[in-house]
Amino acid sequence: MDGNKEYILITGATSGIGCSIAVNLSRSYNLILHGRDEEKLEKTKALCDQGKHLVLYRADLAASGELESSLAGLITEQGLQIAHFVHCAGYMKMLPLKVLTLETIQRSFAVNVIAATLIVKVLTQRKVNNALKSVVFISSNISNFGAKAFSAYAGSKAALDAVMKCLAVELAPKVRLNSVLPGAIPTEMTKDIFGNKEVVDRMLADYPLGMGEAGDIFEMVNFLISDKSRWITGQQFVVDGGRSINLSA
Amino acid sequence: MEKFESGMAELLEVDTVDASDVLEGFEAWDSLTSLSIIAFIDENYGVSVSANDLVAAKTVGGLKDLVLTKAKKA
Ligand SMILES: NC(=O)c1ccc[n+]([C@@H]2O[C@H](COP(=O)([O-])OP(=O)(O)OC[C@H]3O[C@@H](n4cnc5c(N)ncnc54)[C@H](OP(=O)(O)O)[C@@H]3O)[C@@H](O)[C@H]2O)c1
Repeated sequence: MDGNKEYILITGATSGIGCSIAVNLSRSYNLILHGRDEEKLEKTKALCDQGKHLVLYRADLAASGELESSLAGLITEQGLQIAHFVHCAGYMKMLPLKVLTLETIQRSFAVNVIAATLIVKVLTQRKVNNALKSVVFISSNISNFGAKAFSAYAGSKAALDAVMKCLAVELAPKVRLNSVLPGAIPTEMTKDIFGNKEVVDRMLADYPLGMGEAGDIFEMVNFLISDKSRWITGQQFVVDGGRSINLSA
Repeated sequence: MEKFESGMAELLEVDTVDASDVLEGFEAWDSLTSLSIIAFIDENYGVSVSANDLVAAKTVGGLKDLVLTKAKKA
C-alpha cells in the first residue's frame, strides 16, 4: 500500500484534547479531521502542519442512523485509506440521578459509544477500507470507578472500554484497539469545573503529579497508534497524573 | 412560576419552600443538590446559572429573581 495515501481519522478534532492530538499528529500523518462545525474544523485545519493531506469530515455523531453511510460515502468518494482511528469526540453532562433525563443518557451513549463502534465497523468493511491497523478510544479514568452525578458519562465510557476489549479480540491480528483514560484536563468540556478555583484546589490535591494537559494524552495516543505498540491490544491506559491510584486521606 | 417553588421543594427534599428560606440552610443542601438545581433551571427556564450564582443568590426568592431576570434578558 502506498503509505502516502494512508490517513488517521480523528473524531472531535475541533476542540480540546482532539485538537491537540490533531495538531501534533499532522507533523507525521495525513489526517481526516472530524467535527460537527465547519468553522471550528477550518480553525483546527489552520493550526495543523500544512505539509500533509488534511481532509475535513463534518458529522453529528448523535445522529447514529446516518453515520455509517456518511462515512462510507466520504471514504469512497475521496478514495481514502484509513490506517488509524482515534475516537476523541465525547459528550459529558454531570447530572445527579434526580434530574437525569433520557435525552442525556441517549446522547452520552450515542456520541461516546455507538459512534465509536459504528465507525470501526465501517473502517473494517473490506470494500470500503482495507487499511485499518490500530484504533484508540479516548475513554476516561472514571470508566473503572464511580462518582456522584456521573452515571450517564461513566456508564458510557465503561461501555466504550468493553467494546474496545471485544473488538480487540474479534479483529485481531489485523487491527489493534486500546483506550486511553485521561484524568481532568482543562478544555471546553471541563470549563465549569476549572472555572471554580475552590474546586480546582480541592481537585489538584488529589493529583500526585499536579495538573495535566492535552499534550500528555497525545503522547500515549501517538505510541498506541504506532507499530511501537505492535504487541499491545485490548488495554486501558490511564493517563491521569496518578489521580486514580491515590488513596491518601 | 409555582413550578419553581415545587421543583425547588422536590430537589431540597422538603414539602414546601418559602422565598425567605436560605439555600445553604436546607439539610439536603450539598454540591449534588446544587448541581441538580442548576440542571433544573437550565431544563425548565433555559437559563444557565453557576454554583457561585446560587451562593450569591442566598435564598429561594433571591434565586427565583435571578432566574427571572436572566430569562427576560435571554
Ligand atoms: N477534559 C477532560 O478532563 C477529560 C477527561 C477524561 C476524558 N475526556 C475525554 O476526552 C475527549 C475529548 O474531550 P475534551 O475535554 O477535549 O472535550 P471538548 O473540548 O468538549 O471536545 C469534545 C469534542 O467532541 C465533539 N463532539 C461533541 N458532541 C458531538 C456530536 N454530537 N457530534 C460530533 N462531535 C461532537 C466536539 O465538537 P464541538 O467542537 O463542535 O463541540 C469536540 O470536538 C472526550 O471523549 C472526553 O470524554 C476528557
